[in-house]
Amino acid sequence: MKKGFAILAVTILVAGCVSPPPHVFLVTPEMLAERQLEMRRYDGIKEAELLSACANVLQDLGFQLENSESRLGVLTVIKHRDAKNAGEIVVSIIVTVLSGKPMPYSKDQTIRASLVVRPVYDSNGDVLPDSHYVRITIQRLVRRTDNSIFVETLHDPNLYERFYDKLSKSVFIEAQKI
Amino acid sequence: MKRILVIAMMAAALHVSCAPTTERVLDADDETQLQKRSYESRIFDTSDKEKVLRATISTLQDLGFVIDRADLTLGTVSGTKYAGFLMKITVSARPKGNDRILVRANAQFNITPVDDPKQYQDFFSSLEKSLFLTAHEAD
Repeated sequence: MKKGFAILAVTILVAGCVSPPPHVFLVTPEMLAERQLEMRRYDGIKEAELLSACANVLQDLGFQLENSESRLGVLTVIKHRDAKNAGEIVVSIIVTVLSGKPMPYSKDQTIRASLVVRPVYDSNGDVLPDSHYVRITIQRLVRRTDNSIFVETLHDPNLYERFYDKLSKSVFIEAQKI
Repeated sequence: MKRILVIAMMAAALHVSCAPTTERVLDADDETQLQKRSYESRIFDTSDKEKVLRATISTLQDLGFVIDRADLTLGTVSGTKYAGFLMKITVSARPKGNDRILVRANAQFNITPVDDPKQYQDFFSSLEKSLFLTAHEAD
């Protein structure tokens, strides 16, 4: 009987487990550290030219433009790619052989990013001419072989480092009108 | 034991399917439209819609959202956060009179609407910091 109540409690809990984590909308120090990772400052280039240089780099990286609002400095891009990973497949095969139950592994993924250009303000709150911040956030949705999905935001410093290397070159080319 | 299990499963099924489609589409619940609008909205003393929207975008990026779309004319910004869960938010900024702007946000967590006023309070407090302005309760 006791077990029955436990089952009932668990099923109700599962059905009602729908609230977001607390303080999901409060900026934490970790989030500010993330900002350092995702953001760079560019001087000596107009906002429209900078945004165009950014769009160019995102195309270099194979992204498709999904949305844009140049008056707010926003670009949203997307691409679909394979997500198979040799290491993960090997682990899956071993677990499947040992346990007899197939272990799913990553099949394909949708990579989404938004890039935002915004003006830099001085200490009086005035816009500094031709100085802007660029910030990109990259996320992915991965589908596994059993059709389950998982989602994550990418935090690898190396990824952002390499992106901004490419952007710096593109900004230079744009500024020099090459 | 078996009978209890069946009852438990029926109770869960009932719990899941208790709202008909129309109620789900309209998100009709005990809250009134006015209550919802009230905790989802704040007023800022500025007439600069672009500034409010840029600050909104930058706040959402700080909070880990990817900006899905933005529209200056309509005054809207939408974003999605992937962090093991899926959070979506749409923020709109509309002029109220000549010198104020009404900002409204509505969020969705996985497949449920966010209806906890505390979450919106947190969002507007983050936006206040980014805008360097104090948010007032909507009239």
